[in-house]
Amino acid sequence: MAFLDRTARGFFLTELLSGLGLTFSYMFRPRVTLNYPFEKGPISPRFRGEHALRRYPNGEERCIACKLCEAVCPALAITIEAEPRDDGSRRTTRYDIDMTKCIYCGLCQEACPVDAIVEGPNFEFSTETREELFYNKDKLLENGDRWEAQLAANVAVDAPYR
Amino acid sequence: MPKLTIDGIEVEVEPGTSVLQACEQIGIEIPRFCYHERLTVPANCRMCLVEMEKAPKPVASCAMPCGEGMVIKTNTDLVHKARKGVMEFLLINHPLDCPICDQGGECDLQDQAMGYGFDRSRFQENKRAVKDKYLGPLIKTIMTRCIHCTRCIRFADEIAGVPELGATGRGEHMEVGTYIEQAISSELSGNLIDVCPVGALTSKPYAFTTRPWELRKTETIDVMDALGSNIRVDTRGPEVMRLTPRLNEDINEEWLADKSRFHYDGLKRQRLDRPYVRRDGKLQPATWAEAFTAIAERVKGVPGDRIAALAGDLCDAESMVALKDLVEGLGSKNLDCRQDGAAFDTSARAGYLFNTTIAGIEKADAILLIGTYPRWEGSMVNARIRKRYLMGGLKVGVVGERRDLTYPYTYLGAGPQTLQELADGSHEFCEILKTAKRPMLILGAGALRRADGAAIQALARQAAEANNMVQDGWNGFNVLHTAAARVGGLELGFLPGQGGKATAEILAGASSGAIEVVYLLGADEIDTAKLGDAFVIYQGHHGDRGAHRADVVLPGAAYTEKNGLYVNTEGRVQMARMAVFPLGEAREDWKILRALGDQLGVRLPYDSLAQVRKRLAEASPVFRSIESLTMAEWGPFGQAGTIDAAPFHCPIENYYMTDPISRASATMAKCTETFLAAASERTGTHG
Amino acid sequence: MVELWSGYAWPTIIIVLQIVAIIIPLLVGVAYLTYAERKVLAAMQLRQGPNMVGPFGLFQPLADGLKLFGKETVIPAGANRVVFVFAPMLTFLLSLIAWAVIPFSSTMVLANINVGVLYLFAISSLGVYGIIMAGWASNSKYAFLGGLRSAAQMVSYEVSIGFVIITVLLCVGSLNLSDVVLAQRTVWFAIPLFPMFVVFFISALAETNRAPFDLPEGESELVGGYNVEYSAMTFALFFLGEYANMILMSAMTSILFLGGWLPPFDIAPLNWIPGPIWFALKIALVLFMFLWVRATVPRYRYDQLMRLGWKVFLPFSLFWVILTAGVLVTFGWLP
Repeated sequence: MAFLDRTARGFFLTELLSGLGLTFSYMFRPRVTLNYPFEKGPISPRFRGEHALRRYPNGEERCIACKLCEAVCPALAITIEAEPRDDGSRRTTRYDIDMTKCIYCGLCQEACPVDAIVEGPNFEFSTETREELFYNKDKLLENGDRWEAQLAANVAVDAPYR
Repeated sequence: MPKLTIDGIEVEVEPGTSVLQACEQIGIEIPRFCYHERLTVPANCRMCLVEMEKAPKPVASCAMPCGEGMVIKTNTDLVHKARKGVMEFLLINHPLDCPICDQGGECDLQDQAMGYGFDRSRFQENKRAVKDKYLGPLIKTIMTRCIHCTRCIRFADEIAGVPELGATGRGEHMEVGTYIEQAISSELSGNLIDVCPVGALTSKPYAFTTRPWELRKTETIDVMDALGSNIRVDTRGPEVMRLTPRLNEDINEEWLADKSRFHYDGLKRQRLDRPYVRRDGKLQPATWAEAFTAIAERVKGVPGDRIAALAGDLCDAESMVALKDLVEGLGSKNLDCRQDGAAFDTSARAGYLFNTTIAGIEKADAILLIGTYPRWEGSMVNARIRKRYLMGGLKVGVVGERRDLTYPYTYLGAGPQTLQELADGSHEFCEILKTAKRPMLILGAGALRRADGAAIQALARQAAEANNMVQDGWNGFNVLHTAAARVGGLELGFLPGQGGKATAEILAGASSGAIEVVYLLGADEIDTAKLGDAFVIYQGHHGDRGAHRADVVLPGAAYTEKNGLYVNTEGRVQMARMAVFPLGEAREDWKILRALGDQLGVRLPYDSLAQVRKRLAEASPVFRSIESLTMAEWGPFGQAGTIDAAPFHCPIENYYMTDPISRASATMAKCTETFLAAASERTGTHG
Repeated sequence: MVELWSGYAWPTIIIVLQIVAIIIPLLVGVAYLTYAERKVLAAMQLRQGPNMVGPFGLFQPLADGLKLFGKETVIPAGANRVVFVFAPMLTFLLSLIAWAVIPFSSTMVLANINVGVLYLFAISSLGVYGIIMAGWASNSKYAFLGGLRSAAQMVSYEVSIGFVIITVLLCVGSLNLSDVVLAQRTVWFAIPLFPMFVVFFISALAETNRAPFDLPEGESELVGGYNVEYSAMTFALFFLGEYANMILMSAMTSILFLGGWLPPFDIAPLNWIPGPIWFALKIALVLFMFLWVRATVPRYRYDQLMRLGWKVFLPFSLFWVILTAGVLVTFGWLP
């Protein structure tokens, strides 16, 4: 009986037809996708997007050249050179992130003792050439200045869990 | 021989051994901050607490001598609790600024806090802050980080012999400082950085540049003096970031002289990174081929006796043997490795070596210093003499200049006259030498770097023999060289051949036109004005005096950039290893000479470093085994002659700038300014 | 001279114009078939589909075409250049010349020949050569395997397609496609020969290498199939050829089973609509089913594909030929 049942189902293509029916019914359901460049989904405060170097409210850069981010970076994307600044404080002379190497793991911002290097909410930073993705300190600080309000809010939201 | 039990292991130790040392012997590591094996024991950090049976409290293991039947426990709850308590107290006033601290990553406090620290503080009050002290251009201080272990104070007092550091105040107000603001006036001050277990004393030139985990470490040797101190070159990429000492009980123990430690920024300045050829009176960049052609054109057809070669102070043995073979292949016998014009007889090895060995100083009980200032000529020798002095029962006599040697000495006289008296036995110090079991003399640059050097050498030999310095199993005759390449050159015979000219004659010949071609292998300490119209080829790594005068400049490798053998003043063959690649188009020196030989029609019979070393072993058996010391047989040497009565005078005017590398160093320039220029200007009201 | 004009030149011009009149709408149809495919698939997968280029993304096919025009044609180093370039041209050409015999209405047909069905069958069978040539000439293992698979698959399903056509021909009694259409005036063959209609449709999917029978270009194992080494215009020709083939197979399905240009019922409002419109609507319906199936069914395994072709469709269609013939003979319904 089961054999007949199976054969009949195969012969009359019932499963196929029910499948076709299902896909057909989907045609009239509402779309779930976003119209991306015009609509955007919500982003977690922990979102790990484009990097930025932050400053203190008085304009002093936060980074103290401890090189922990460079050490922890699993992709070896960060290169730092440091020397004493004229006022004797420890600062970087070079802070490069090779964004083509970066794997956006967020270990750098976790390692940072002063919340200087952070991964911000921006994920739209594609470029036309690879060279533009080799970020230097100026670019990172500029990112920090541009996104500071949101970066500060994100760090504050995440602070209780760190 | 007390026998004690440590963690259930029975161990028998020498009397006087501390519990901490006994633990180390059986491989148990005790945390410590103030204890240092080469310094006295103050027992003030309390980190090394261990539990001792029948003792009411934990005891400081560094200060507790082992006793018969002691039972020590190092791994109990009590011990851990005690050490955690100590650590918490230490951290109360420590700023915990590891991210900006140069010691971060190689810090004793950081490491031990991982074992005994707690992740937060119970201390609610304000931390203390201490004003940073000025300790000179080499040492950076962040005194807030200081945990008062007093290692630096003890080092300055005991090893360096400059009791300038001390603690003022007590309790929380204790501060380590120099009482009156001054730079540490010791040539060993860099060791304070190594000695400091935290980041209170760090290196000023190295400040903030790298982290220890970024550095590639190459074990090599130092060439700033003739002692061949063992060092480690820390590099990042193509750059030498710092130099640190490496333990070698026979030479430098674990210390390093300041010039050896801080000259490294000279390796980045004024370097020759491409060949140059003089055209229209100016040195202009050229290719290797152009440089070689220029040399070949000039040298071809010049008779051998009109060609000469001088080797400098930083050359490795390989390049010297290659140059020797090249110049001899051209038919010349005019070569010399004594560019400073030191004249001494090289017929017997014992006549130019430090026969007693540096470690052997500790066995001597009377030392005669002749025309030498060992603080500058060989800082480690001076440190060793001071170490011997601290053991007690040492008599030191000085012939030459009256200068501070960090230990007391008897001043015998200024010049050869006194040496003559010592050789005759007519001087009263001879009594002391004769009664001493193991007397020794050290002949320095001030005595030998004179026209009558060979005669003074003969006189010194006479003095040594007359005063019982050469005995069975003891050779108290020592020459303290100042150039790293010198003994290597002497061993492989980089010396005038039969009828050949020595340095002074070569220079005279060049002035008069008798010498047409002069090959300078890193030789910069000569009077280049005397080279006259000679065609000068300079091969070396720095654009120093020699390169300025040269007609063709060939860029060679500095000692951190090549694998080379050096022989120290004791006759110990040591290997310098390549830490970074030669700069730009520069090449290893023996390879340059090998290639130039082909151009000049003198084929040098070696194509690899191993073959050059084989050639070296043929030149002198000393090179047969590396890292070993071949003792010299005592034999007659020196030439009796007329002796100038002029007093011995140390030829080193400026300790911090003696060679092309240190002359190019900004750090060394700062030291010169601080320690030498200022000293001459200082008045009674200064500071 | 006059005879040369009226006898040769003028008819040639007319024929060329007719050909252009068929090809241009066909190529536009191909372009918008790709658009329709993406939109339908998107709708069934709850997505948007192309919507950025022009209103509702209507210019997307043009943009894609321009992009392909602008690309560089890469010819692999080890490829046989002549065959490599000739293969896509052959495929594209074959997909177009089949349209010569398709009747768009009772009068609109380029070549109303009496062996139209045979001609169509022959042309569509030749299509496999383009693919085999492409696979071989690329000198790449993926392209070669893809080409072989494609050839084996097309050959297998042509057999059952042949039998299906025979059943239709038995009912029509003519190989002329206009006659086939006119024979369906009373009832479309899709109704009496419904099982054959299903077999034909499924075989058409296989014949055009469409899902679920798109093994020749199985991305997961063959990267891109026989056209993996093709780029720019050579690739575009394959692409156009494939989609023109889809339209051609849909047209054949309409002609053989859905009454070609005929309205469903020969009654007042329906027969006002001109035949070509009906024909286009029917083709669109079948094409929609192509896309619909693609959105629904996962890809067959290769052995399943062969089993279906040889062990199910072949005996089944053979049986149906005999059945149809028997019925026609028994009841004397032979045309």
